[in-house]
Formats: sequence, C-alpha cells, structure tokens
Amino acid sequence: MDRGMTGKYVPGETLLHRMDERAKLLAFLIMICAVIFTDSPAGYAVMFVFMAALGKAAGLSVNSVLSSVRRLGPFLILIFVMNSLFYTSEDPIWHFLIFSLSREGMIQGANVVLRIALVIVMSGILTRTTSPMELMSAIESLLHPLRYIGLPAEEIAMILSIAIQFIPTILEESDEIRKAQIARGARFESGKLRERAMALLPMIVPIFISSFKRADELAEAMEARGYRGAKNRTAKEKKKIDLRSVVMLLVCACVCAVQIVI
Amino acid sequence: MSGVSLDVKKGELVALLGRNGSGKSTLIRHFNALLSLQEGELIVGGIDASGKKNIWDLRRLSGMVFQNPDNQFVAPVVFDDVAFGLENYLVPREEIPTRVEKALDAVGMKGFENRAPHTLSGGQKQRVALAGVLAVEPDIVIFDEATSMLDPRGRSEVLSIIRQLHESGKTIIMITHYIEECVSADRVILMDSGKVVCSGAPENVLTDRERLKSAGMMPPMPVRVYYDLLERGVQLDRCPLTEEELTELLCR
Repeated sequence: MDRGMTGKYVPGETLLHRMDERAKLLAFLIMICAVIFTDSPAGYAVMFVFMAALGKAAGLSVNSVLSSVRRLGPFLILIFVMNSLFYTSEDPIWHFLIFSLSREGMIQGANVVLRIALVIVMSGILTRTTSPMELMSAIESLLHPLRYIGLPAEEIAMILSIAIQFIPTILEESDEIRKAQIARGARFESGKLRERAMALLPMIVPIFISSFKRADELAEAMEARGYRGAKNRTAKEKKKIDLRSVVMLLVCACVCAVQIVI
Repeated sequence: MSGVSLDVKKGELVALLGRNGSGKSTLIRHFNALLSLQEGELIVGGIDASGKKNIWDLRRLSGMVFQNPDNQFVAPVVFDDVAFGLENYLVPREEIPTRVEKALDAVGMKGFENRAPHTLSGGQKQRVALAGVLAVEPDIVIFDEATSMLDPRGRSEVLSIIRQLHESGKTIIMITHYIEECVSADRVILMDSGKVVCSGAPENVLTDRERLKSAGMMPPMPVRVYYDLLERGVQLDRCPLTEEELTELLCR
C-alpha cells in the first residue's frame, strides 16, 4: 500500500519533528519564496547548505532526501533539454531548424531544474517530519484568518482530515473488490491499454457506491454524536508559537532576504 | 412502523429482536431523532422527540453505537475521536482529557489514545466508538447491531462491556439478530414488519416457538433441544435458555 511513496511521514523525535507544525508550514512557504529569488551559483550554494543542515536536523539520510528527486530525474532532464533548445538567444552556439542551443538557454534550464529539485527536497523534508494530521491542523490555523472573508476554515479542515483518514479503509476495500473481480474472471494486468482501462470500470463503480454509503453512515454517526457544524464546538487549544519556531522562521526569512539581494 | 407502543424503564436492558427489514433499526433511529416522527408521540428521558427544539439535548441523553465499525470514526486518532462528541457539546477544553481517559478506561481501551482507528481490530473499534458515546455521559445507550460485523472474540468483548454498563445503571437498548444475545436481557421485544409481535421476559419470548417462527426467527439451541426431547417423550423440569441450564437439567 505504501510501496513507492516517497516523502511519507517517518515518526521520530528530532528537532524538526518536534517543531511547531504551523511554523514548519510557514517556513516552507517562506523558503518557496526564497527559491523563486535564487538565481546565482552563490545563491544555490546557500540553499544547498541550508537544505543539508535541515536534512541533518531531521535525521534524514542524503539518500532518502534525494530519492524523490532521482525519481523525477527523466522529467528534470527533459525540462533542461527543452529549455536549452528552445531559448531564443542572440548568439546561439548551435542552430538547426527551430532548435537553437545557447548559453543563456542552458543557464535558464539549469535554473528551472535546480529550483524544482529544491522544492521537492523541501517538501520531502516537511512531509517526512510532519504527520498528515499535524499538517491538517497547520493548514487549518493558517486558513483561520480567512474566515473573516467567509471561508469556512474549520469545515475545510474537517473535510480534509476525514478524507485522509478514510484513504487506508478505501484502499483496503478496493483491493477486496479487485480480488473479487479477478475471482470472477476479470483481467487487470493483461491486454491493451484501452482494454485495461475498460477493465477498471467494474472496480470503480462499486468503490464509488460504497464510498457514498460510507459517507452517509458517517454523517449519521456524526449527527448522532451531536455535530452541528464547526461553529458550535469547543474551541481548539491555542498553542503559542515557541521561541525555537520563531528562530527558525527568522533564519528562513534571512535566507529569503539573502536570495533577494544576491 | 405501525401501532408500536412500548415503554422502557430506566436502567432496563432491552433487546430488540427481529429479522432484516423488521423495523428495529427504524425504531431506534426515532429514539435519537435521527428520523423524524410522522405521527404519534415519543418521549425519551422526559424529552419530546417529535419537536425539533430539544433534538440536541435528546441526542446527548441517548448515545448510539452503529453497526459498521469503520464508518463511525471522525478523527485520525483514537483520542480525538472520543473527544469529538465532547467538543460538539461545548465541554470546556480542560475537562476533555480526563473525560476521554475515563471513557477509554470504561471500555478497556486505555493506552490506545494515539493509535489510528484503522489499525485496531473490529472489537477494539466498536469499543472506541462506545467510548466516544460514553464520554458524553448519556443515560441511555443504544446499540444498532453493534456486534454483527465482529468476530466471536470481538463480539464477546463488546457484550461483556454492555453487561457492565447495564450493571452501572444505564438504560440499554440493543438490536440484534443473534437470538443468543437476548438471553441476558431484562426484556425482549420481538418485531416483524414494523410491528411489535410480543414483548416480555426472555424466558417467555424466547420459548414461544410459534411466535418466533412467524417472525422468522429460530429459538435458541437449548429451547430447541427442550422441544425435541418433549416430542420424544422426555419432559424436562422447565425450558432452559442457556447451555449451562440445559446441561444442568439434563444431568438431573
């Protein structure tokens, strides 16, 4: 079930694990800004050193951090090639039909690829050290101010958390249905792409139906337990942002400022 | 539902028995105002269930555990799930941890606070669901075939907790189609096609072969043995309900 999922939460007790999740999410957003402004070798050097430090603080091995980047390797190479070949430059090194290879194009390609890689590494570090539940509550508290413009932040958080929580149950169920269909002669592995896609249909329909049934039952259970919408509930505990988180946010802000300057 | 009239005393353990589609689930959904009354009247714990007004007081007073253990979890960890009902009734944040702990202790699930519900067994899930109901401290607990999707071990876990709750003075209404589960009830209500067929002590209802048969149910094994022996000319002193009673009578 979890096979091949990179960036999956790894429970732990490291500095980054214990950090306030809201601070982590905010820091992540700040760092994305920093990545957008990064465009010089010195800038990248700063970023890579910082990422290495974060990875170290999260107790992650270089290998596990880079695995998701490696996975996207072919895609990254393609981006680099496309950028270098299609960049319109005044003095191309090599020119053929619509293709023109240039120094500027290659620099731009490298820029894009390095930025994507940085964002992947950053999100990997975030999701490995923050459980989905913590992420949900972080999203909820960051959405919180938006309720003044009418956004139902608590409801959105509730929907997201229920959705995430039901993933294992529904995966289990889809596996059961798949086996039931195979027992009745369905073939999911063989045939042309079109045939295989068609074979999925008898699987998708029952999953849909049972998911709606589940939703119905869950709604009834929630109602029986007194759920009247997010407004009539005990307020969530307000956690104070601790000093450690403030320091981390300041460090990230500094990195971002450095990137803007250089 | 037609012509259903019944009265449940405080602290009573009532078993609702009937085949699929006999109306038992519909009946108990009225007890919690999950379905609204079309006609007639219903008073639960002194609250009129036909009005929209007191619906939330009513639901706080009577908690409900459902059939499917997977489809009643709201939160990704056990603690938050048990706290869900408390949060809905605006229980102050400081009180929540002690009440959650007390409820989990009552169902023997202490120490599972940080587990994800889908990693628990069926019986454990139902116990957590029950803890979520008990945390709100209802007077009445309703079980809607809460044991029907469990393995024998999970079922006996849940049943023993139901008995404990009964001893602690809660009013309990349980739906079942396992006739053996009715034996320890104070009263059994047999239902069929939206009507109450009969209602009374287990030793009266469960030994009434004709009525049970007309409602599509089989009498418990000891009762069947009693009648089979009777047909072959062996008269036992009385009709046994449990296997223990049966062995005792046979050994005489």
